[in-house]
Order: sequence, then structure tokens, then C-alpha cells
Amino acid sequence: MKNNENHSIQYAESFLREGKNDEAIDLLRTPGPPSDGCICALLAKAYYQRGDARGDMYACHYFADRALELGFNKKWIYTIKAISAFRKERYGEAAETFSKYVTAESLPANQYLYGLALLYNHQPNQAIEWIDRALNIQPNNKLFIEAKEKAQKEVQEKGGKAECKKKEYQLGGFNDKRQAGVPTSYRFNAVSILKGYAHQPKDFDWLEKNIPCQQGCPAKTDIPGYLSAIYKGQYDLAYRINLKDNVFPAVLGRVCSRPCEDMCRHGWEGLGDSVAICFSKRSAADLTDKDPVVMDPWYPPTDKKVAVVGSGVAGLAAARNLALMGHSVTLYEKHNKPGGMMNQGIPKFRLPWETTDREVQQIQGLGIDIICNTEIGKNISLQHLIDKHDALVMAAGTFRPNILDLPGKELKGIRHGLDFLLESNETDHATIGEHVVVIGGGFTAMDCARTAKRLGAKMIHIESKKDEEVVPGSILYAKKDSVSVSYRRSVNEMLVTPGELDELKHEGIPMEFMVSPKAYIGEDGHVKAMQFIRTELGEPDASGRRRPVDVPGSEFEVPADTVLLATGQFPDTAWIDDCLKPDLVDTDQWLKSGKLQKTAHHKIFIAGDFATGALTLIDAIAHAKDAAREVDTFLMGKQRMIDVAIVEDAEATGRIREMDEVPRQEMPARPLEQRDLTGEVETGYDQTRAIDETQRCYFCHYKYEIDTDKCIYCDWCIKAKPRPNCIIKVRSLDYDDKNRIVGWQEAKTSEDTNMIWINQEDCIRCNACVEACPVDCISLQKVSFDVVSDDAQKVQNA
Amino acid sequence: MPAEPNLTPIEKDKLQIDPDFDFRDIAQRPFHDVKTNEIGMFKWTGVYHQLQKGFFMIRLRLPGGLIQADQLERAVQLAEQYGQGQLCITTRQTLQFHWIRQEDIYKVLEEMENVGVSSKNACGDVTRNVVTCSLQGVCPHELADTRKMLTAIADDSELLDEQRNLPRKHKISVSGCGRACGQTLMNCQGWYPVKRFQEEGDEEIGWKYHAGGGLGARPYMAKVIFDWVPEELVCDVTRAATEIFRQKGNRRIRAYARMKVVVDKLGAHGFGEAILAQLHQWQIQGLEKIEAASHSEPDVGDMFLDGQTLIPQRQQGYSVVRIMILRSEFHVEDGHRFVRWARTYGNGEIMLTNRQNLELRYVKDSNVQSLLEEIREAGYPTEGHEHLPDMVACVGTTQCNLAVSDTPNTYRALYAELASDKALWEEVGSLRIHMNGCPNSCAQHWIADIGLRGMREQEEEGSSEGFGIFIGGKLSGGGHIAEHLCDVSSEQMVSVIRQLLEFYVENRKNKKQKFGDFVREIGAKSLIQKLGPISGKKEPLNRKNLKLQPAFHAALIESSVHEK
Repeated sequence: MKNNENHSIQYAESFLREGKNDEAIDLLRTPGPPSDGCICALLAKAYYQRGDARGDMYACHYFADRALELGFNKKWIYTIKAISAFRKERYGEAAETFSKYVTAESLPANQYLYGLALLYNHQPNQAIEWIDRALNIQPNNKLFIEAKEKAQKEVQEKGGKAECKKKEYQLGGFNDKRQAGVPTSYRFNAVSILKGYAHQPKDFDWLEKNIPCQQGCPAKTDIPGYLSAIYKGQYDLAYRINLKDNVFPAVLGRVCSRPCEDMCRHGWEGLGDSVAICFSKRSAADLTDKDPVVMDPWYPPTDKKVAVVGSGVAGLAAARNLALMGHSVTLYEKHNKPGGMMNQGIPKFRLPWETTDREVQQIQGLGIDIICNTEIGKNISLQHLIDKHDALVMAAGTFRPNILDLPGKELKGIRHGLDFLLESNETDHATIGEHVVVIGGGFTAMDCARTAKRLGAKMIHIESKKDEEVVPGSILYAKKDSVSVSYRRSVNEMLVTPGELDELKHEGIPMEFMVSPKAYIGEDGHVKAMQFIRTELGEPDASGRRRPVDVPGSEFEVPADTVLLATGQFPDTAWIDDCLKPDLVDTDQWLKSGKLQKTAHHKIFIAGDFATGALTLIDAIAHAKDAAREVDTFLMGKQRMIDVAIVEDAEATGRIREMDEVPRQEMPARPLEQRDLTGEVETGYDQTRAIDETQRCYFCHYKYEIDTDKCIYCDWCIKAKPRPNCIIKVRSLDYDDKNRIVGWQEAKTSEDTNMIWINQEDCIRCNACVEACPVDCISLQKVSFDVVSDDAQKVQNA
Repeated sequence: MPAEPNLTPIEKDKLQIDPDFDFRDIAQRPFHDVKTNEIGMFKWTGVYHQLQKGFFMIRLRLPGGLIQADQLERAVQLAEQYGQGQLCITTRQTLQFHWIRQEDIYKVLEEMENVGVSSKNACGDVTRNVVTCSLQGVCPHELADTRKMLTAIADDSELLDEQRNLPRKHKISVSGCGRACGQTLMNCQGWYPVKRFQEEGDEEIGWKYHAGGGLGARPYMAKVIFDWVPEELVCDVTRAATEIFRQKGNRRIRAYARMKVVVDKLGAHGFGEAILAQLHQWQIQGLEKIEAASHSEPDVGDMFLDGQTLIPQRQQGYSVVRIMILRSEFHVEDGHRFVRWARTYGNGEIMLTNRQNLELRYVKDSNVQSLLEEIREAGYPTEGHEHLPDMVACVGTTQCNLAVSDTPNTYRALYAELASDKALWEEVGSLRIHMNGCPNSCAQHWIADIGLRGMREQEEEGSSEGFGIFIGGKLSGGGHIAEHLCDVSSEQMVSVIRQLLEFYVENRKNKKQKFGDFVREIGAKSLIQKLGPISGKKEPLNRKNLKLQPAFHAALIESSVHEK
């Protein structure tokens, strides 16, 4: 036993020097129940070095006592005993212990602490003696000087009285109700008011960090709001929430690019797959009543007239919001029906026309006049429209195709993809060859390929390299396929949704990645093949996407009698009156105002792709909503619609952790053999699937927050927490100049724990902390983003 | 469809891990090899991991708090050998060892088994140590054979061996009469005997049954379920109630898992009906003799124990002598003394009380004085029971994983400053101060005249240790849960308690108005206003200590280097 002990002591000392306190403790208790002075002393030291007021101070004091009892009487063990007594406020005992070894010859820190122990033990005169000795050695030590001053004061001081009253909790607990419009008390509070409409930077910061899906959505759709409505079976409510924010819920439920799903907290590392937000959105539209929903106006009529040029998503969205703001809106459309890309550029098998029609009708229901077959610049001049209206929104989309300037571009059989889609959509037919090559990597390319396949394009065959040389994700052999899509970047760089690629694969359409078209090869004036060169990805360009670089000598040809170019399109500004062009149009035919909604002409505003270039539907809607607000501000002379964070008291969500384990629900689809040009491929969730999927949502708009005035720091929530960083003991929080919380300093001991803090970015809203909290100090509120009329805000916070 | 609730990790452990560990095997395994959920299940054998890694606490099972001198002697020897010589008395009338190494757990358990003391079901989601009034067996007011009844329940194999997977801990009290000494109202199930006269004038004893009490973080007072249960059905009713608890307790959320929540949900009548239905299902005969409660509101008498140093037993010529154990802790030397006194002066029995003290029983009246002299000479207080000096406290942050505050430290400060002021506490009269280091209620702050509950309070920098003060709790009548008065830092505690007591002395109606009645009458909200500013606010301890870190560091280096 003795040998074991000596061995332990030797190694424990070295562990202690390295600060490996737990290892030292393990080692010291191995030989037997601690009953040797040296072992107890080293245990005391190990606990002392661990240093928490909780547990460690007691243990080090306990073992220091035991060590002394057992005859170990080196000075440092007295020091440990004295300091641990001191830290536990047992100043009498501390002073007595210091007195056992501190002498006039001792070093200053010991003399000072001895003095301080005497001071706190109400022996100021003796205290001064020892503090003076320390000061003799270190006359400039601030702690010593301060202690002496205190000791001198202590002689006269009688001890103050403190106001002690029961705290009035502000945030309170789970079931507490809060008063509207009252500012929160502390800088560390998550939002700026207890309840009501908030609009401080920290409020919007909370929304950005906490509701990632909504942050990801350009139109700021209240995603948790409608997912929770779907979960409760309130499809109509869910549809209306969507309708307010993204204007075309049923359309977007089918063809949205789903930036929200990339951001979804459920898809964060270690948390599984993101919620199928888009499919769920569609279910709300599918499962609700099919009658058109006409929204209630936000403002009474204003007598202001606005013209909107173009009735695509942007034009329609801008028109709708302007109408809701009380303005009289007329839409001009050169095509024979409104809808733009929705019914011209997207195949019916992805987006049936009746879906688009219904949501357009809802907009018309607001009294908007849509004049079709009218081309501005041709049938009516733009200037005329401006003169007739108080404001004008140009939402003309992107109709100038990007024709690849390659040798052979004049050959027959080469056509722009959008033309092709429009033709097939309108006529349910389009002329197409047997070997079709689609060039491009976006939605249009995918739609062209799938449409061409349905129109009967035949097999193509590509001779190429061996499989093992292939870039991961590429499909180089097309064994029995009829259409191929070529794209010069890799699959990671594509602007399509993963589901769409899967569908392409499912329908047997091969993709050729990392190739770049070099020339159209012709015969008798008609294209017969396409020449490509292989590429590799270079450095990221200005947009952050990596630019493809040709691989020399890797040229190859693909037989083709039809080449569909899905290589983008630009805004066509040719129709703008010449007299207005100097103000509006740049030399490259793009708008001078760039992506802004305002132009140099005070009455002219821009919405959607016409300003931004071809982006997604949801981008266009977001841009158009902002354009409508700009127009309204211009017309009314003030900003009437205001961004707010709505803070509400909330009830328990009823979620259970098991819901997190539910797998993401697949979208049911028509079997391959039943797929044609017009029948919708995806058939939508039924009620069961809709509930199964929406229950997976964490409902990130709920805010769990600890009322620090009520919290007793018992750590029970920390013991129950599901994530490493969702509840933290912090020393302090970091703020920026706008009081936004930008970081935290973790506390090391209980003494320096300033608060137990719910780090809401990491919180998965599981409610475990609330269930564990013994003093009911965790509040639950809902915080959601909205754009409201200025009147509504006044009422809410009154 | 909405996801179905699955078993929680703890419930899975309860199903999958056999709670009867082979601690000889555990002794062989390195600490890091023992899984957290296994350590969790050690509790079923009374073994808890204490705050200091690798050291364990062992709690024994001593039904009704009675321990024989031989058994205590062995416990003291084991504490000396394996537990740093330390033993603690718990509020559920049993003993705890601390500082037991993982390698030594089995030694303590086996040695105690050898003297007939087990630790089975001392902790865990089981029926815990069955408690009683400390005067059971000797009290002049005792109506029935309490020990027989409590032993029957405590050793009932259905409760002890079968029902070992309850939703949460389960606590039973069996008292000797309708007074509050046995803490009937704060237990899950509480029994006491009642007497009535038959038509023929014959005396008849039955048992009154309460259920649904419990403290913890969310306290409830028990309700009366049955006014009358014939003696032969007491065990069956206890079993049936336990079975209903097993079936209906909330296993999803531990904070709501206890029987108190089940009873609260079903109501006293509903719970009684459920018990009867269960008994009926088990085909227990004679159920018609059970009488449902006429009122669910209990009516428990005041405690008989109220400041006595010794209590004449109902057995002529004998007395109970009470010894106050400060902060419930005693050491080897003390233990040997108690054993010797029990053997020399008493009948060899030692009663551990719910106020964490000791009682020696069957001390001949002629020996009482010499025993008292010995006790006083050895330094144990014999006066002040159920008064200020007789405080109840848990181990707090010294050893408990759940604690927030250092209860023993505050206990010592209060004891040193206030118990020494005999004039004050004699003037105050009956007063029960209980202090608890965390929101649980091991030290029963909810039912005390003054209850302290550990907390930390946010400071400008860091946080400081303190307590919430609760006032006016009681276990007599229908019971009363103490109300929150204010939060006070540990360093203010002595002066605040003094201020509170002085306020009471100055403002009470008369000397008969006890502290508890006084504060209940005023109410916490009004009392805090009347009390005014509270004295003694100093620089928060945490800030002092945080600021002094460099000096602490330097001092230790100085003494270590100087030594060389």
C-alpha cells in the first residue's frame, strides 16, 4: 500500500504542476481511502486548483483539515485551508489559520490576505498592521492600498441598510402574461419590448438569427407560422399567411427554388434533414377550400393611379400590394394572358395553368384591371402611360435571350429554350429533332430537357472517358437516354433544387457536367452536332461561384439535331420610349438604376427580373413587394408600411422530441409511365403527410428566455439541455453598438457566472428547459416578422 | 400522424439496467468505464455520486429511523475506515456515509448487511425509507402499534421487491397518532391511527389515510382519502395506491412524475375510487369497511414535540433523552459515544429523527440526569429543540450535485450568531428553521416557520450565493406551504433573520402567538413591506473573491516556494 501511495504522490504532484487536477484526484484515491497526510494535502491542492466555489472549495477545505489532522503541516496546506475558509466567508477561521504561519518575514500576498481576513472579521486595527507590512514590500499594489483604506474606514463604519423588496418579475415564467409596449429591463434581454410591436435593431437581429428559414426567404414568408397552422389542420390560415407574404402560395408550393430549406435549423449539422417547407406550403393550398381568396385591403382607397407594365410574378405582386394599399392599379400585358413565366416558361407538368390562373384571379379580385395583348412602346407609348398615372412600375421581365456566340450559330435547329417552352406550353406541342442537346444549368434547362423528352426526342450516345476519371457527380455515359443536358460547372454550382436533379435522373435524362460548348457543327445548313470542351473549376468569380476553365485538348462532339439554349436571358429595354432612355437605359441596354426599385424618373419604378436580371420567382416577388412600398411612399409622401417584430405571449407548442426523429416526407409523384406533357408529375401531400412533415418544424419563432431576476442558477435546465451550447453559463455577453448580442464569454466557476443564458441560435425549442425549471423562470413568447400599417402599430403598443 | 411519445432515456435505463449491481465488480472497473446511466441506477442501492468526482455517498434504509447500537457501531467503524470518519443523519430518519470511493462501496454495503441493515431502495424511483414519528413505541399519545404497521409496509415485498420501477420516488409515513410529529401531510402516502367507539361502547382502532403530499420543487399538501381503513387493509390500500401511481404517474416529465400530481389530477375522491377499484380487481375482501373521507381537507394536530429535552415514556419509569446533532453531522468519536450511551443508559436503540437529531430511549428516570450531564460535557446541545438552535439543513454545495448554495456554511453562521443568543431564541419560542441548498426540499424548507432555499443572484459581475426566504410553512391543520418573502445573499442572512425575529417579538399580539401564526396572519407580501430596509448589505462576496484571485494565487505560490 505504501509503495502505491508513494507512486501516486509522485505522479499526482506532476499532474498538479500541469494543472491536470482531475487526473491527480483519480490517482490519489486509487491506493485506498485517503488516510495519509500527504495524499489528503495533494487532494486539497487538486480541488483548490479546480477552484469552483461549488464543491471544490468545500473539498479542498475538508482535505486540508484532514491533512493537518494527519500531521502534514507544510505552509502551503495552511494557505489552502485559509483561502478556502476565506472564500466561504469564514473569516475568523481564515485569520486563525493565517496566524499559524504568516509572520513579519512572510511575503506580501500572505500578509495582505491575513490582514484582509482580519478586516472582514471586524478586527480592523490588527488588519492594518498586516496590510502595512505588505505595503512596505509593495507600496504601489492597488489591492493593498484599497484594503488599507477600507480598514481605516471600517473603524467608523456601522454597516448600511439595503432596500430589500420582492422583485417584480418582468419576463417571468412560462404562464405569465406581459404588458404590451413596455421596454425590457436589461441589455441582455433578447428583444426590446415585453410585448407588442418592436423595431429596434436587436429585434430584427433576433429574427434573422433565430428564424433562419424566413431569413432565407427573399419574400420573408412567415414559414413557422404557416407550418404550425398546417400541423394544426388550419389549412386556410396557413394559405392566408403564405398569401400575404409570397402572393402565389400554390404556385410557389410547386416551383419555388426553396432557399428557405437550405437555411432550416432542422438541417443544421447533427440535426437531420431540413423540413420540406415547399411541399408543405403546397399542401396548405391543396387541402384548403379552392375558392379564390381575396385579401382585405390594408388602407382605404387613395385615388392614386398606378400603371404596371408586365403581368408576370413581379408585376402581379407589385400590383396586388399597391391595390391593398388603396391605389387604383392597371396592368398592361403584351401576351394574351397574365402570368408571365408561370404559364409561359414553366411546363404544365410542373405547374398546371389552373393553379396559376386561380392565384391571378385572387389578385384581379382586388379590382385590378389587367389589359392583355397590349405592348407598351408599340400599342401605347410609355410616356402616355406615365402621363395618365401617378406612378408606373416596369415589370417587363427578361425576354432578350442570351444566344451563345459560337461558330455555326446561324444553323437551323438551334433555338432558345424559353421559346421552345412557350410553344410547347401554349400548343402542347413543339417541333423537335431526335437528338436533343440542352445547354445550361438552371430551371429552364431542366424544363427544356424534360419537355423535349416528353415530345419524343430519341437516344443520343456519347463516347467519352472512363468512369474512374470522372468528376464526382458527373454523368458521362448516357446509355439509353434520349436527351442530355450539358452544363459547364459542376452539380454543386447549379442554380436548381436538388429535387429537380433527382427528377431529371428519375426520368432518365443524363447530365454532362464540366463541359463548355465550343461550336455548333452543321451539315446542309442544319446543326448535326455540338462540340464541347471539358472544363475544370477555377477561382470563384465576383458572384462567388467558381468559374469554369477549359481543359486543353479535351474537345469532343455530341450528335445533335436540336440544340436548346437555356443560357439565360436579359431584360429587354428596347421598347422604352427614346425620350426616356437617357434617364433610364445604359449603353449595354441594362437599366441605369441597376437592381434598385427607384429610377432617375420620379414616377417610374422597377420590379422583379427587369431590374435584377433573371432570378427566381420568389426573388422577383420580394423585389416587387419592395417596389410597391417605394411607390406607396412616393405617392403618399411618407412610409406607411413598417417592418416590425411582433412579440406575443405564447402557449406550449405541444411538440415532443420524438417529432424531431420523424423522417422528411417524400413528395408523391406520378409513375414514370404515366408522365406526359400536361399531367402534373408531383401529386402533393395528403393530410397525413402534411401533418407528418410539419410536425418536424421546430417552430423557431418561439423564444425561450430566462428571467434572470427569477432564476436561481440551479443549473437544472443545463442538466436537461439537448445541445451543447443551447443553454450556457456566461460571464458576460458581447454587444455591438446597437445593443445586438454578438457573442458571449463562458463562465468558468459559479462565482463568475453572471447568468444562465439561453443561446437562442442553438436552441431547438424542445421545451426541456421549461420542464426542468423548478422556479418557472423561463418564458415562452412568439416573435414574428411582419410588415404592418403605421396605424396598426400605434394600436398594438398603445 | 403526430409522433408517438417514446420512453425517456431515464425510463429506458430503468427498464434495461438491473438495479441490483454487483458492487464488487464495479470496484474493479475504472471510473471512466462506469457509464453515467449506470451511476444513475446505483441509487436503487442507496449509492449516489457526490459532487466530487469518484467519491460516493451511501444512504442506508432504516425504517422508522430506528438503529441498534451494534448497527450504529458498525456504521461508525466503516465511516472511519472508508468514509473519512463522517456520518450524516437525514430528514427521512436514516444515515449517510460520504467520501466512499468506488472501490469501497461494496465493503460498506456488505458489512452493513452483516448487521442487518440494507440500503436497498434507499434512493431511486421506489418506495423510500418509511418514516414515522420519533417517539413511536414510547409516546404517551400513541394509539396503535405503529412499528408493527410501519414494518409491515416497509418490508412488504410488493413494495420493496416488485414495485421498483415507479415513475418517481415514493414516500410513506406511518405516525402513532393524529399529531404532526410524523409529517403525514408531506408524504405521498400518510397513515395515522384513529380511535372510535362502537355502538356497544367498545373502542375500535382504524387508520386514517392521506395521499398526495410531497415537497420537491413543487410542493403539495396531502389530502384525506379515507377516514377509516381497518388495520387489516392498510397494507392493501398502500399497495393499491402505489400501483395506481405506477400506472398513472407522468413518466415523460420528471418534475411532474410524483404521486402528488396524480392525486391532484384525480382529486381526493377520484384517487380513493381508483384505489377501491384496484382493490376490487385484486379481489380483496372487506372493502365495505373502508370509509371515504368526509372532507378532503386534513385536520392534523399540532406537534407534541415542542422544545422538550426529555420526554417521559408511556412505559413507566423511562424517558426519551434528546441530543441535538449540529448540522446532522457526526464523526467517529461521537458515534462511539452514542453507542455507549445507548447501551449503558438506554435499551440499545437509537432513534434518528426527522430533525436530524438523535433520541436515546428507555433511559431510566434515575439515570437521566447523569446521561444529560455526560451529553452536555461532550458538547452536544440538549436545549432548544424545535427552537432556533434546532435547525435542519442539507449538505448543500459541499457534496450535492444539485445544490446551488453552501447550506452548512449558512447553518454555521446562523448557529454561531443566533443560537448563542439564548435570550433572543427563548423569547421567540418555537421556531423551526430549515435550509435547503437547492429547489428540491430534502431539508423541507416548504414546511418550516422559516425556510431557506438556495439560489444565486446576479451581480454586476458574476453572481453571489444566497437564499430565498420562505415563511409560515406548517404540517398541522390542513398544512401550509411556506410563502416567499424575499431573496437575501448568504452574507446578509444572519442580520436578516435577526431582524425578522426581532420584528416578530416586537409586533406579536402576545406571547402565545407563535412565530408561524404571526407570519401567516400578516402574509409574506405585507410582511416584507413592514419589515423595511434590510441590514447588512456589503460588497458581494463573489466580487470580492473574483477580485482577489491574483492575491490567492500569489499567496499559494509564496508559501509553496518559501517552503522549499
